[in-house]
Amino acid sequence: MSYDWILIGPLLVVLAASVVRRHLGSRWSMWIAGWVAAVFIATTGIAFHGLLLGNWQAVFIATTGFIALTSAWDSVYWLREHPHISPHRYYLWWGLFWAALLAISLSQNLALSWLALEFSTLASGALIIEMGDRHSLEAAWKYIVIASVGLVLGLIGIVFIYASLRFQGLSWSTLDYGNLRAQYANIAPVVRQLATIFIVSGFGTKAGLVPFHTWLPDAHSEAPSPVSGLLSGILLGLSLFTVAQFVGAAPVPSGALLTGSHLLTIFGTISLVVGSLALLVQHDIKRLLAYSSIEQVGIMAVALGVGTRAALFAALLQFVFHAVIKSSLFYGAGHLSVTYGTKRLDGINDLISKSKAGSFGWALGMLALAGLPPLGLAYSEWLIIEQLWIQHSYVVVFLTSGALTLTFAALVHHLLRTLWGDGQPVLRSRSSGHEASVQGAI
Amino acid sequence: MNVMDLVLFISAVALLWSRSLRLGIALLALEGVLLSIMAWTSQPLTWDSALMALATLTIKAGLIPTVLARMMNSWPIEVRRDHPLPLWAYATALVVVLGTGHIMQLLGPVHLIQNRPAFFYSLSTIYLGMVMVVARRHLLSQITALVSIENGLVVLGISLSDSLPTFVELGILADLMIAVALLVWMGRRIHREFQTTDVVALQALKG
Repeated sequence: MSYDWILIGPLLVVLAASVVRRHLGSRWSMWIAGWVAAVFIATTGIAFHGLLLGNWQAVFIATTGFIALTSAWDSVYWLREHPHISPHRYYLWWGLFWAALLAISLSQNLALSWLALEFSTLASGALIIEMGDRHSLEAAWKYIVIASVGLVLGLIGIVFIYASLRFQGLSWSTLDYGNLRAQYANIAPVVRQLATIFIVSGFGTKAGLVPFHTWLPDAHSEAPSPVSGLLSGILLGLSLFTVAQFVGAAPVPSGALLTGSHLLTIFGTISLVVGSLALLVQHDIKRLLAYSSIEQVGIMAVALGVGTRAALFAALLQFVFHAVIKSSLFYGAGHLSVTYGTKRLDGINDLISKSKAGSFGWALGMLALAGLPPLGLAYSEWLIIEQLWIQHSYVVVFLTSGALTLTFAALVHHLLRTLWGDGQPVLRSRSSGHEASVQGAI
Repeated sequence: MNVMDLVLFISAVALLWSRSLRLGIALLALEGVLLSIMAWTSQPLTWDSALMALATLTIKAGLIPTVLARMMNSWPIEVRRDHPLPLWAYATALVVVLGTGHIMQLLGPVHLIQNRPAFFYSLSTIYLGMVMVVARRHLLSQITALVSIENGLVVLGISLSDSLPTFVELGILADLMIAVALLVWMGRRIHREFQTTDVVALQALKG
């Protein structure tokens, strides 16, 4: 079934932001959030059958729709807290970003996925710039330059694949995943291998896999919080699953030194370990969540690298649970940093005496992210480790288990400090970013 | 055709080597003209190829160099030159060009490459552009490098399959245009906020 019509959703937001312009106030934000909710309900209704069957595209569309919905509602409150942000420009770029995310979800073609990913970089980069301070400028510059260079690497791989199948004369449909699955034997193994290296490295940059991740903590921590939720919860996962779709469609012969599965497992494991170690030393609430995203993308990559049916299902579950949990935590972190006037973790404390409901929500999210059973991520992470064990990947099992234990310890440590920590003096240093300081000034 | 590919490669080397931003912008305009001619001549003339040639000429030889020149001219004379290229960049540039030769060797037996000199020059141009992004410190040099990398990609497509699908080429061109517009806007703001055009100043976010 074709879902292309849902692109009308973001395009109407872009149109509204362009036409209404200066009069776009709080009431309009509510209307936009309502519209996003309507699009989500309609989409999910139509994709429901696909969701039950575990169809990837249906899951991507429904998850993207849901996180866009929560991001749109959070934007209503976030914009009230940040009156210096122009709602007109915010919704213009937000709508384009939503459109790019939906285009990636809908895409069944490698070239189209590439284009949508590149446009998502520009739209989200522009949203980061909207914050209007030095940190956001720095983060956006690094993000656009590094992600663009990374995606160029991916495009080199795509050109290799296209050139190998040019005899078909199908123009850009050559790069449909279905066509690649049917024709991959006509692509020489060495070309497939080179293309896989380029595509995993290139798209892996956008997915935030270590060592291509350097832009990620800056961009995710300096973006408006409703956008951080989309960046971290949706875009990283969609980039990674784009790699997996290519790797599955044009596999490298299993005897080769570096197959797509090998690369995903290697980069995934490194990301998992680096991400979990970095959690221990974070001082900024949004950077903490950004490094957790690196760790989470790592475990998804490991599962995709295993490649069995059960492992792919576990990766998909991990994507959905992570999207819901991480985006909620980013929204929460945005509001907390405004309430406390800082993004520094040592300045955000004694939450339990300030808001019972807020502390319950924050604790639930952090414990879910840490992988506490019976919350969702515990289940998908267990499935992934089980699959690794069945495949006799004992070294990866050891590293993954160690990293997940470390992650649990680090996140619980930070959670306890925010809930009960005593009020230490807030150091308004570099990480007391603009998002945090605006409300304090007001 | 190979003369134009060679000129593209030489211009990529000159872009990396030269500290003069004015020369860099002129070289980008030259690359734009070359790519436009290649789009006309690399395949039988059709509406699609004519559209691509015209769009390339307008955007890469006209619009982008003009916008970059205007940005540069708005800055004081002392920031219109980049810093000296570090020594490691020369060595890295040599290694990546040799690496291109290795990729050609790997792909040789499968007859994927239609035009070997063009493949060598274009992939080298892409790699040299990447070295430039890492090694050059001026904001404008990084934008120039991104455009040069994209130019190399177009020629890579020609060397492997005459051309990329028009839809993809137009998408890449539109993407480049938006990226340059955003980076130029940011470049102006960075200069205003940081009082410098040196990307080394962008290091407040760490850890």
